[in-house]
Amino acid sequence: MEIKYGLISADSHAAFDRDAFTARMSASRWGERIPQVVEIERAGARLDRWRVYGKIADNSVCNCPALMGEPFPTYPDRWEQVPKTAYDPRARLSALDTDGVDAEVLFPNPPGGTFFEFGDAAFELDVVRAYNDALGEWTRASDRYWPLAIVPYLSPPAIIAREIERARALGHRGVNVLGQMPKSLPHLTDPYWDPLWSVCQDLAMPVHFHGSAGLRAGASVRKWEGYTPRQAHSASTATSAVTPAQIIPQLIFSGVTERFARLKCVFAEAGIGGLNYVIAACDHEWESRRLWKEGIRTRPSETIRRQMYVNFWFEAEGIKLRHHIGIDNIMWESDFPHVASFYPRSWESVERVLRGVPAEDRRKLLYENALRVYQIDAAPATNH
Amino acid sequence: MQLKHGLISVDDHVQEPPTLWTERLSKARWGDRIPRLERARDGRERWLLDGEVLLDGHSAKAGALMADRNREPERWEEVPPAAYDPGERLKAMDEAGIDYSVLYPTVAGLAGETFGRLRDPELELACVAAYNDWLIEEWAGASERFVPQCLVPLWPPEAAAREIERAVSRGHRGVVFPSLPMHLRPLPHISGPEYDPVWRTCTELNVPLCLHAGASRELQYEPSANLSAALARALDAVTRPVSSVFVISLYSFSRILLRHPRLRIVLAESALSWGMLYMEWADHQFEHDGLKREGYDLKPSEMFHRQCYFTSWFDEVAPFLEFVGADHILWSTKFPLATSTWPRTRETVERCLKGVSPEARAKVLWQNAASLYRL
Repeated sequence: MEIKYGLISADSHAAFDRDAFTARMSASRWGERIPQVVEIERAGARLDRWRVYGKIADNSVCNCPALMGEPFPTYPDRWEQVPKTAYDPRARLSALDTDGVDAEVLFPNPPGGTFFEFGDAAFELDVVRAYNDALGEWTRASDRYWPLAIVPYLSPPAIIAREIERARALGHRGVNVLGQMPKSLPHLTDPYWDPLWSVCQDLAMPVHFHGSAGLRAGASVRKWEGYTPRQAHSASTATSAVTPAQIIPQLIFSGVTERFARLKCVFAEAGIGGLNYVIAACDHEWESRRLWKEGIRTRPSETIRRQMYVNFWFEAEGIKLRHHIGIDNIMWESDFPHVASFYPRSWESVERVLRGVPAEDRRKLLYENALRVYQIDAAPATNH
Repeated sequence: MQLKHGLISVDDHVQEPPTLWTERLSKARWGDRIPRLERARDGRERWLLDGEVLLDGHSAKAGALMADRNREPERWEEVPPAAYDPGERLKAMDEAGIDYSVLYPTVAGLAGETFGRLRDPELELACVAAYNDWLIEEWAGASERFVPQCLVPLWPPEAAAREIERAVSRGHRGVVFPSLPMHLRPLPHISGPEYDPVWRTCTELNVPLCLHAGASRELQYEPSANLSAALARALDAVTRPVSSVFVISLYSFSRILLRHPRLRIVLAESALSWGMLYMEWADHQFEHDGLKREGYDLKPSEMFHRQCYFTSWFDEVAPFLEFVGADHILWSTKFPLATSTWPRTRETVERCLKGVSPEARAKVLWQNAASLYRL
């Protein structure tokens, strides 16, 4: 691909067209359970909502406030309000150009990226296939889309591995994974999941943990009724920021990163500042407890340099510590079209956050690291 | 105050001896509910409180003093004396180069949370008061180099305030408060005005409120059950300080810090990285969510710089010095927990303070603590 702007978002969200699942799943088998947009009535108003497995979703039919204009943030109530740039890959290219973004890694949007909640493994597998098919098609619209496959957790690991292989052939560039597995299944670091890590490593598909990565334990302080919604939102952001510190030590001290030394893990929308702590704390415990005697042969900071990646979008102070965190382990992200996005002025925030950063470091942070992590061949940038 | 080494460690732990509560609580009134060390059938000695096994079935937490750091004592006679004996502790402090040591409990919870789980407020108060008396008599009485901090019964807040007053009048210099009482037993959320008597009392008596990591298991991601004990404990040690981000966030956004502008808060076992990360994230979110329009006089970082301290024991200081601020960083050794820098305390201090000016170094290693604890 061509690098025109010198900016790659390692975390954006692809919305789905309203018929993305009905067009791909068997109506005779799944009928009304297929994810679809339906009209509902709430407090006298008519609204469109996703309905999955017969259950109406609580959230907006499309999470795309960056495209909705003022007042910010606005979420569409009706499908007609959803801009095509959110869900149509060809239309969306103009938004990428407006924002000066060359390519984007695609995470989920409603109806979501997990479908295990209904406890129906056959249904989950079919939805996951439809999801991976639909986003795989984006790569045919443009090589600027790097979608992430999702996982049919309830299927046996061998079936999961086959689905990841299929997704890779469709054009997926990585896999989006839960940080804490569904309750009925073994722990994230249990060898049960080794086939998943194995296929991701073999296919060079980085594993992604997004936001709080679905953590239940370790996720948050109990809710307080005294907050306004905005205050509650501000107070809860800690949840995302500490995600790498909850998950990376699990992967290292359980030996997953020893068994899969070429597996790459990306932490999206969790910022970069937390990786300082993970590096220092894991090394401290590894050294003082002599954990190489427990089978963890590699110094954790080396493992992190080799396998862990974090994304930034606003942390000017964090960027000052880029060489402590790892200049090769940091990527930019926009979160487009979600509420955290600076669209259409991403470059303004980039310039603010990277003030005083030399050109070589800038290139790594803004697109070179992403090209390397996702193994993309690209013509060099002309302007940046 | 006399300084020989130039280090005040603001977070060390005393190991409570088996007789602490059995000698101070009425056997006639409390019977087998009294915290005590009990020998199990397999010969192990473990702490019991009201039927609950404490310290994961061990006799103490003293990994740093054990021949193998990944082991904890399984019988009382295995517990190294420097964990529980003030005289032996002073010798260890001289070896480590520590002038003064601010004390947190072990059996009573690293964050003082153990008795908060009791549903019986009278037993809770009896256990807490016994610890507070014992620490003054046995440790503070042995040397002025020990800085005692009291435990608190969580409910009702008036009882907490009364016990703080009593303890401070006996010589306690700080308050060990489990930051999230509502995670321990069914109590009102900490954010509400119900707890104002506690914050007011700390402010009036000019004693810091010390929130140690580990007050709630809910904030840590449990390791897989098939890990070795050594790896599971290492994971516990790494994920415990993560809670400091949740806790400072809660105390700021809920306005506790705004309502009590002279309340000073120590986030013990917090690590400096989290101070920087928290302030940058919280300020960004504060702006992005437009909270200025919701009646906050100060940004989160401004609240922090007015009232809070982060503590470290292994972080490099220089990268965080400017943003967190030399006036808001405290040093600790975490003696004698497995995560402690003991016995390499001195060399760790030198490594972590490399590149820090003599003025900032003095603040971090002792001046901030001396003024906070009025030494």
